[in-house]
Amino acid sequence: MGIRLYKEPRLEKPDMIVGWPGIGNIGIIAVDTLREQIQAEEFGEIEPWDFFYPRRVIIRADQLEDLVFPDNKLYYKRLEQKDLIFFIGEEQPSDGGGTYAEGEKAYQMANLVLDVAAKFACHRVYTSGAAISLTHHTLKPRVWAVPNKEDLIEEVKRHENTILMSEIEQMGGQGSITGLNGLLLGVAKKRGFEGICLMGEIPDYLSRAPFPYPRASKSVLEVITSILGVRIDLTALDNMAAQIENIIENIYEKFPQEIRDRIEQRRFAIQTKPETITEEDEKWLKEHIDELFKKGGKGDEGPV
Amino acid sequence: MKVPFRLWRQPELQNPSLVVGWGADAGKLGAKVTDYLNKKLGGQSFCEIEPVEFSPLAGVTIDDDLIQFPETKFYSCHKNDLVILRSDPPSYEWYKFLNLILDIAEHYCHVKELYIVGGMIAPSAHTTPRELLGTFNSLELKKALSQYNLARNLDYETPPGQRPTVNSFLLWVAKRRNIPGVNLWVPIPFYLVAVDDPKAQKMVLEFFDQRFELRIDFSDLDEEITRRNERIAQVRIRFPEIDEYITRLESNLRLSEDENERLVKEIERCLKEKSGNH
Repeated sequence: MGIRLYKEPRLEKPDMIVGWPGIGNIGIIAVDTLREQIQAEEFGEIEPWDFFYPRRVIIRADQLEDLVFPDNKLYYKRLEQKDLIFFIGEEQPSDGGGTYAEGEKAYQMANLVLDVAAKFACHRVYTSGAAISLTHHTLKPRVWAVPNKEDLIEEVKRHENTILMSEIEQMGGQGSITGLNGLLLGVAKKRGFEGICLMGEIPDYLSRAPFPYPRASKSVLEVITSILGVRIDLTALDNMAAQIENIIENIYEKFPQEIRDRIEQRRFAIQTKPETITEEDEKWLKEHIDELFKKGGKGDEGPV
Repeated sequence: MKVPFRLWRQPELQNPSLVVGWGADAGKLGAKVTDYLNKKLGGQSFCEIEPVEFSPLAGVTIDDDLIQFPETKFYSCHKNDLVILRSDPPSYEWYKFLNLILDIAEHYCHVKELYIVGGMIAPSAHTTPRELLGTFNSLELKKALSQYNLARNLDYETPPGQRPTVNSFLLWVAKRRNIPGVNLWVPIPFYLVAVDDPKAQKMVLEFFDQRFELRIDFSDLDEEITRRNERIAQVRIRFPEIDEYITRLESNLRLSEDENERLVKEIERCLKEKSGNH
């Protein structure tokens, strides 16, 4: 179990930006888009075999050529304003075999990521993910910002479209961040790193949809780039968002009228008192979501 | 820290091969083959891996009316210089578990080669001749086994949405440790996957018989194959619809999903009922 660095770049007090898959893949799409746009260079990885079951076997002419595990890669970029390290993981490790990290494995992974941060003298770590919200898919997703130190609160408030937990209706400053996006910042706090989690809003009725929600990734990315003072081209993300919006609109039309009526009120009431979907509505969505979104793929075990 | 295995006897072996069969396998192939070898060769258990780190242990499962409990046991057959591992696959910590198997095999037995048995689900009829396929982690072993006709020049990549088998994972771990190994696969007709397939067992066992010069008398297994064929023949007579499905499979025609389900259900029901009365 360990970190493999292919090279050791000279970096000056870099910030670390971390992405893992999650609801709507909001965080990982934001982080990966930034990594790609600024052309960050791969320089290492966290060895995956202790954490994950392999994804793919490759056999050529009867010979087992390789076993492919989920990637856990490290990248770096020296920018004028700030040096950056990226960590992007294709899966979250979990003792219980769930989708989101939990247990000893998750804790080990969080510490390994922070070992890299410590080695390069990072003092701040960003994670990002999804905030399931009573919003509407036509509204611009806000970014819920949760720091791990009190003196960061004023800083995160300065950036456009961010909102603190205490400013969200019915949250009262309370909540939770599941998986490694949360755990990493808890461990970061314990180890003395500054940390901020940026979560893009996704409507509750889309949180189980089997496709990404790039509108929220864009919101997160706007905040990250504002903090870092970098400009990037968001055209690819806009195009992806436009495609997904068409799919969402088609599906949304198939929702029962009474559910749509309740959701429609959010277009006008989101900032004051949003209309929640009822337990009945939620049950209907749970029961029909796979069918509506035509979720594919079944079975876990391949033949070889 | 507690050692996650118990060794109660140091086996006396020269330069053995390790045969691995998993409890959860198509047609129960791995378990049936390792049980048969142990019975015929007088395999004696000498070590077991404790399940606590590798299985949830949140209660027990029941199979064939019996309580099941995860078990990973090593057996030695000193006359034939073989180590046999019969194991339930782990639920987590796979890499650690698979390395532990090879740690024990290398440290206490000086194992030189690895043979992993596995059943593959096939859309074929039970009357189709079984074949034995090999995927290797070493070119030298592939050459050494060339006389057994295991090679098919297979190219394969796990399709999206699926994961590799634990057999492939173990073969890969062995490769990293420079232990030459082969995955031995037998395609099992899909309607025998939940029961067992003595014909497939014989296919693998004959390979081991030749490879390790075991001189096994297979008359009991031959009888079982005959009985199995007779049972399915009776089912075909009793249920013309089932007969038609199998006839179509014999002609390399595919069945619909509903027909597949009906065939599986009927064959499983009849074989279990018959074996209960037998």
